[in-house]
Amino acid sequence: MDLIEHPPIFRIPSIPDQVVYMWIVMGILLIVGVVATRRLQLVPRGSQNFMEVLLEQFVKELDETIGHDGRRYVPLIATLGLFILTSNLMGLVPGLIAPTANLNTTAACALIVFFTYHWIGVRKQGFVPYLKHFAGPVPLALKPLMFVIEIISHCARPLSLSLRLFGNMMAGHILLAIFFFMMGVNGMLGWALTGSLGGILVGAPATVILVAFVVGFLFPLKLLVAVIQTFIFCKLAMLYIAEAVAETDHH
Amino acid sequence: MRRILTVTLMTVLAAPGMAWAAEATGGGDMAKAFAVLAAGLGFGLAAGLCGLGQGRAAGSAVDAMARQPGAIARIQTAMLLGLAFIESLVLFVFVIAVILLFVKS
Repeated sequence: MDLIEHPPIFRIPSIPDQVVYMWIVMGILLIVGVVATRRLQLVPRGSQNFMEVLLEQFVKELDETIGHDGRRYVPLIATLGLFILTSNLMGLVPGLIAPTANLNTTAACALIVFFTYHWIGVRKQGFVPYLKHFAGPVPLALKPLMFVIEIISHCARPLSLSLRLFGNMMAGHILLAIFFFMMGVNGMLGWALTGSLGGILVGAPATVILVAFVVGFLFPLKLLVAVIQTFIFCKLAMLYIAEAVAETDHH
Repeated sequence: MRRILTVTLMTVLAAPGMAWAAEATGGGDMAKAFAVLAAGLGFGLAAGLCGLGQGRAAGSAVDAMARQPGAIARIQTAMLLGLAFIESLVLFVFVIAVILLFVKS
């Protein structure tokens, strides 16, 4: 178990690690935001260009998912997305930890999405009509059943949102930790350094293979997972908002 | 079918024996052992079945993309969402497995 709980480089006593690293992420995002918007130009260059490309992805997805009304939710979705993306990528740097590899952080993000899309739905159509939509288009006798099922499914949404992100990040961490352990001084490298015949014949090649595997396969995989999980979190948040908003149309 | 029956029968027959063994050794270490066993078995099952599911989903998506190259972007989005939903079930099991590994005796 000590293997999994590898400590990050620096920590502030009596403050949880994920909170400290969340502050670092916030600092990074603040600095990037200030630098990118310091000298706004019509033809963007450098950091402004980068951030505009990034934000245009969010705007495009929102337009696709919610429609013409979607741009109102760019601040919410893009903030969540940038925060999660930066945190996920920070987990790739050895010695730092990803704040999203802790259930508290992801649960906070998921709860924000949960309450926001309900709030949007209630504000768009009023409290009682919004509740009525939980019952769905079924015969009257089945409506109480549908209502309960829908409530449960809505409550499962923040659970699955937070657990998906947390599980992916945490699994990546544990995988990397185990591989670092295997090729480290206590593992294959240590075996090779003992100078015994088996160590030199098996341990040394195994170290090389493990390093090549981690650098060539696991790190790109974690990079991909970090981006895809951000995309999925934002896309699901958009879909929930779209569902809450769009139901006004057919009634 | 016969193999499944045999495995089930063996499990049913072995369970009282294991429970008895747990009582005999004082229970403490046995709970830990069962927790580790459950974590490994459960996660193996979940990962394997998720492989089947994701394989089907990805295969159908590639099929659809080959038929309609124009709709690749939309199919990709749908596929990613589907894969995420399938994968999240495994991640639930993963979280449970990690919790099980932290069981103290």
